[in-house]
Parts: sequence; structure tokens; C-alpha cells
Amino acid sequence: MHKPLPPIVAAAAAITVPGAPIAPIAPCPSAWGTDNVGSVAQFRLQGSKVLAVDMSGDTVKAKNGAMVAYEGEMTFKKKSGGGEGLRGMVTRRLTGEQMAVMEVKGHGTCYFADRASEINLVSLHGEKLHVEAENLLCTDGALRTGTTFTGLRGSAQGNGLFTTTVEGTGQAAILSDGTAIVLRVTPQTPLQVDPGAYIAHTGNLQQHFQSGVTFRALIGESGGESFQIRFEGDGLVYVQPSERNTVGGDL
Amino acid sequence: MNGPVIHDAHTLPADDNINPYAFSVDLDGQWFLQKGKMVAYYGKIDFQGIGLGRLDRLIAGSFHSPLHAADWVVAEGRGKMVLADRAFDVNSYDLDDGNLTVRSGNLLAFEPSLALKQSIVPGFLTLIGTGKFVAASNGPVVFMEPPLRVDPQALVGWADCPSPCHHYDHAYLRGIVGGVRAHTGLGGTSGEEHQFEFVGAGTVLLQSTERMMDAIAVGETGGTGS
Repeated sequence: MHKPLPPIVAAAAAITVPGAPIAPIAPCPSAWGTDNVGSVAQFRLQGSKVLAVDMSGDTVKAKNGAMVAYEGEMTFKKKSGGGEGLRGMVTRRLTGEQMAVMEVKGHGTCYFADRASEINLVSLHGEKLHVEAENLLCTDGALRTGTTFTGLRGSAQGNGLFTTTVEGTGQAAILSDGTAIVLRVTPQTPLQVDPGAYIAHTGNLQQHFQSGVTFRALIGESGGESFQIRFEGDGLVYVQPSERNTVGGDL
Repeated sequence: MNGPVIHDAHTLPADDNINPYAFSVDLDGQWFLQKGKMVAYYGKIDFQGIGLGRLDRLIAGSFHSPLHAADWVVAEGRGKMVLADRAFDVNSYDLDDGNLTVRSGNLLAFEPSLALKQSIVPGFLTLIGTGKFVAASNGPVVFMEPPLRVDPQALVGWADCPSPCHHYDHAYLRGIVGGVRAHTGLGGTSGEEHQFEFVGAGTVLLQSTERMMDAIAVGETGGTGS
């Protein structure tokens, strides 16, 4: 609190200089208000488990209660995920993919962390990020969040049938148990992922719930790794070096 | 922005760590794998339970641990396979006509050129032969030379040491007060009265915490993870 100003100055400087970090975000659609241009929240990692966001009057959406400290002036407003308005409310009721979200607005630097989980930054340039609600820490205010149906995969993960989507241009921070591994999927190299280790994906990917249940599994000698999500297409998949407990037990 | 490294099927390391918590196996053939340790894979890989069937010969040659058979699978095929275990540190070890005994819950995978046997020490598995295996530890592994006494919970495994045994500090159990203490725990214990002792030539592997991996109960001693 002793010096609330320097972070703002630093953030402003980073924006006026067309430096590498901000370059991908710079080509904003002209439809944006002028006050929006150049006031994009800057995400950076403080170590690997704390996210620092430099803000100058703009907003970010963050997991409820994930703020650990802030410098400057901040306001926190409770929101709920699953999309905006009445439709969002109905979606949330129906899907159970609930995300307790808060909207943070202000000038200064806000620090976020959640249970000492590793934090991974994702830059979105108009594409869509699919992420488990529990793994989403913080998104740029300009990004739209929503809920989509994932089918069987979600239920195998024990996370429900729905997943959270983040869309637009800006940065998002996702959580993982251990440093996340980013794996590229191409049409030639499809990827199979353990449902418990999956955290997020971007790009144009089709996912199938692949069950390797064989005759032998039915009589009690299961292959163990019987259930996988198969990703095909073009995109990136984020996996964590750890597996959630799933409905089916330890797969 | 310090973006994460993006791996694809070709840039994933071959039989090496991706980061301290994940290991990539370049599979061309067969590997034994503990269930649930495979995080992701590229390529065409089948997972077969260990039981009767066409893998019979492989299992007869490399898997001599019926108590653990239900926990293991054979990964067969060609591709890159990422292994990890609850965000613990993972490392690979090469044995050259050697032996290594490891806590059963810590072992993730091994090449079939090694033979897996149940150790005489309950809760441990012994690998014998030449080849590579992958094991997890909570925190980096420290290698020590005997003679040495170690905390049971910090022990990951050992190689070559011929006589692993228990050691108890009995001084605190002397007299009436000591007897009460020994039987009831009243009066406090430091929790460090019992160790594993190693003598002779060899190497002892320790992890830097006393939190152990879960393992299936096979009548082991030395306490369970706390």
C-alpha cells in the first residue's frame, strides 16, 4: 500500500511501448470503445503459483475468493458463471457447471492464487478455450465465458456433463496440480488423454470418449487405462501430471 | 508472457523427463505400467490387464508379483506415452545387470527386460536385470551410502544392500515410565524411535519428505502414509 502508483505507471508504459508481450493483443477490433483500447489487464506470473494482474481501470473475472493481495484501488463484485443474463442463469441451473466468479475492477496490481496450484497463462486470439470450471482462475474482462455440453467425458471425470468455455481475445489463467503439459494435436497425430488428467483445450478439436473396455474387462480383468478422451483435429490440450479422482475410481 | 512449452508427438522427449513431474516414454514394443499413471499418449497403444492370454509368456518372464498383478497393465504398441503420478517428482533409473528394491507405490513403469519380483520386505518390489524403470518420489531423490539408518517413511528404495533391517532405539523404553510409554504412547515419543538400517555395499534412495505414496496393502510394516 505504500506505493500504489508505480504498478500503474509500469502497466501504462508496457502498453505504450509495442513490446512483444502485448503485441498479439494489440490489434483490437475498432468496435471497442476508445477507453478500452490500451487498457487491457496485464497478466504475469509471480513465481509459478501466484498470478499478478496489472490493471488500469479495466476489469478481470476471477474465481471467487482467489484474491490474495492487491496494491492500489480494487473493487470486487460477485458474479456467477455460465453466461450472462437470464439465459446464463437457466444454463447454470440446468448444467450444474457453476463457477463462483467475481469481477475485479480497479487501478493497481491484484494477486490471485488458489491452494498453491500451479498457474498457466493462456493467450487467446479469438479462439475458444474449454476448461473445467474448477481449473479456471482468472480471465480478462473482455473474454466471454459460457457453458457447453461435453457429453460422457465430463461424467467420467466426475465433473458433470458440462464444461466452461472462454472466448475472445485476451489472457486467461488456468490452474493445474503440478506444472501443466501442453500437447499439440494435429490431424496426423491424434492424442489420447486420461480423463482425470485433462484440464483444458483450445483449437478446433473433436473429442470422443474412448472406452477400451474389452471382453476381459467385463469379467474383472480390466486393462486399467480403459477410459480415455481421444482428441482429433488441430489444437492444444493441457494436461496435468496428476489425476483427479473420478466416478469410476482411479482409472 | 512466459508461455508454456508446447509439445507435440515429435518434440516430446524420448525416454526422458518433460518436466520434474512428467516422463515421456518412447514406446515401441511393450512396457509394464502401474494403473492410472498414464496421463496422455500419442500413437497406437493398447493397454492389457495382466492375466492369462497372449501376454502369458511376457508375464512369465518379467512379472513375478501376483499380489500386484491387479494394479499393473502392459502398454503395447508404438507411440509416445506421458507418465505422471499425483504431481510427485518422477525420475527414470537405468539398471545394468543390477537390482533395485523400491516401495511398491512409488514404481510407475518398467521395461520388460527387467524382472519384477516381490521383495522379502513387505510393501517393496525388487527389479532385477538390465533396463529402464520410472519411479516417483515426493520431492527429489537423495542417494546415500550405507552404513545408514533411515526413517521408514522417507525410504524410497535401495540397491545392492544385502541386509535391510529394523532398528529400534530402546533407551527411551527402559524402566517403568518407559514401559508405560512404550505401551500407551503416553509421555510422548519423538516418532523417530524406529528406523530402517542398511549396512554393506550399496545405495539407499531417500525422498525429502515423509509423506508416502499410497500403495495397496500387502502386509507391509513401517506404518502407512500419514
